[in-house]
Amino acid sequence: MSPRIWSVKGLTKAAAVVALLMASGAAASAQQAYRFGLAMPLTGSQALYGQDQVKAAQWAVDEINKAGGINGKKLEMIVLDTQADPQIGIQAVNRLISVEKVPAFITAWSGVVKAVAPIANDNKVVELSVGANSPDIATLGDYVYTTFPLADIDIRAVANYAATKMGKKKAAIVFINADTGTAAAEVYKKVFTAAGGQVVAYEAYDPKATDFTGQLLKVRAANPDMIHLQGLVSDTPQVIAQMRQLGLTQPVSSYSAAYNPKLVQQLGAAAEGVIATSLAPGVADSDKVKDYVARWVKEVGREPNGLPYTEYLYDAPYMVADIFKALDSKKLPPTGENFRKEMLAQGAFKLPLTGNTKLGADHTVVKPVYLMEVKGGKWTKKAVVGE
Amino acid sequence: MLNATILLQILWTSLATSSYYVLFAVAFALVLKVTRIFNFAQAAIMTVAFYSAFVTVQWLEWPAWAAFIVMMAITLAASFALERIGFEALRKRGVSVMFVFVFTFMVSEFVAYLAMLAFGTWPQTIFPTIFWPVTLVGNIAVSAWDLPAIGATIAMLALLFSFMRFTRMGQFMVGVADNPDLAELYGVNKRQIFLVAVLMAGALVAVGMFLYGTRAQVLPQTGLSLMLFAIAATIIGGIGNIAGAAIAAIILGVIQNSSILVIPSEWQGLLLYVFLFLAIVFFPNGLRLPRRRRRFATATRDIGGSKDASAAEGQV
Repeated sequence: MSPRIWSVKGLTKAAAVVALLMASGAAASAQQAYRFGLAMPLTGSQALYGQDQVKAAQWAVDEINKAGGINGKKLEMIVLDTQADPQIGIQAVNRLISVEKVPAFITAWSGVVKAVAPIANDNKVVELSVGANSPDIATLGDYVYTTFPLADIDIRAVANYAATKMGKKKAAIVFINADTGTAAAEVYKKVFTAAGGQVVAYEAYDPKATDFTGQLLKVRAANPDMIHLQGLVSDTPQVIAQMRQLGLTQPVSSYSAAYNPKLVQQLGAAAEGVIATSLAPGVADSDKVKDYVARWVKEVGREPNGLPYTEYLYDAPYMVADIFKALDSKKLPPTGENFRKEMLAQGAFKLPLTGNTKLGADHTVVKPVYLMEVKGGKWTKKAVVGE
Repeated sequence: MLNATILLQILWTSLATSSYYVLFAVAFALVLKVTRIFNFAQAAIMTVAFYSAFVTVQWLEWPAWAAFIVMMAITLAASFALERIGFEALRKRGVSVMFVFVFTFMVSEFVAYLAMLAFGTWPQTIFPTIFWPVTLVGNIAVSAWDLPAIGATIAMLALLFSFMRFTRMGQFMVGVADNPDLAELYGVNKRQIFLVAVLMAGALVAVGMFLYGTRAQVLPQTGLSLMLFAIAATIIGGIGNIAGAAIAAIILGVIQNSSILVIPSEWQGLLLYVFLFLAIVFFPNGLRLPRRRRRFATATRDIGGSKDASAAEGQV
């Protein structure tokens, strides 16, 4: 005969009591904590960036809580996986809003940002896009904002810089025959010609190609004084290597895909003179960034993947904390509407790593573009455009 | 645009870079010919080959020759497992051709996924650097990678063809390719021949990936995307025609790269599909090499029925 407590009735009663205790406990702690969501790729092909960005955000949240949190109350970040997939992103955000009931959440990857925008708008929850750069993010709705500069401001900056500051008159554009490449190549062409230059070669290459001889020989025949390369991390080093092998000694500019320390290692002396863009300050620009990178190397054993993006993700919780602090001081409930109102009222935020961030009325944000150049086997800052 | 220097440069570089394509195409064609399996799992073998070389050089920091041996050993082990644990099990159950194809595809996807979990999705190369110094021959830039690549490919192909032509096992392989059950009646161990074919394909793939991974970056799914070229070359070269696959691979590579001179660069990627389409529609039997007369008597020759004999005779 089993003891009475193990009967089904007894168990259900016990479970109900436990659930009630947990709920009240949760309710109690919810009043004590300010919560926001973070929807990032934790798995999948983008996880190598996503996970580093989540880690950076977590560091920020821990620092904020160590420094006293939100007027003594805890700042809590709820992290969910999107796999950088719009469908999974929708599920994650639905959960953040309906179950976790956050007033705001941070997400990235243009596809996900666009897919979840209607949910944010319908439920009046603030969506902060941090890292995606598709221009239409500025038109996704009242509750969608970005802290990361949109579109091709980095391509415009480097094209303009080459024409005006570097005095280059003839540019060749080599690009991958895919979205990233074709769109940016068009922008470079437009800006370079508008600034008084001439585009003497405009060659695309197949995403699967490993041999770019034909295109590069055409570029060589056109005799440019500047080459702009718009490829992906997986082909950029090969293209530059072949360029140098075929005797193209002109300076090469690219965008953030080229800006990683591995490039220098892979190309050796051939990397000299390569210019890349970055949308966040580097180690040489700010002590805080220097300490940040040093902490990565110490705790994780390497530099972060996509350093500039992780800097923005580190800063995002600080911005959220500032808004929560204001709401807390004014004794306003942390709803999505109040969050948005307060965010727009403050408008400008002084963030630890990426500096001043001013949210525009048109849902965009203006940030400087850092031009980095490989000099003496190291990435050094060449210029800052648009400070 | 068509001056001699440019044309020669393109020809030279595309010849050099077609080296690994030839090896991948021949490996695929060999397995298809002997085992009649559309071996999409070759992509898995390619992934295994690359990452074993990568780990040996970049994580263990062993010299290149040691990495090559380790890579070859691991690749052959993987090929062995694929044949004995994979294909043989399916053969015993008498599954359909479609089933085997789906199986090979799943194996490749699974291995690509494992590679992603183990090594991440950042592109990798075997050596830390992919820049090879260049010497100018006339006006043509010859990279220090080119000649060893071409040499290695020629060596592997020579080994393969002399094996199939001059050794007994090679002859048996041709027989099994033609009619496995009949060859078995003549005392040929077809189980062993299947294994040898898959192992040889593994060796070709290992050399190919070593070449590829020392010149370009590799992602976990690179093996899968390289398969398209190998399959195209095999079909265009004629199914069952290994030499045809090799020649088709070279020609496709050279044409694809030289096409930049006459068509806009955006269309280059399309070419492969155009050739494949034309081949399937107009040349369903692929390139045909003239029949060579055999000097040695083979087990299959005595079967009688001129079709069988000539098929074994002419094609390698």
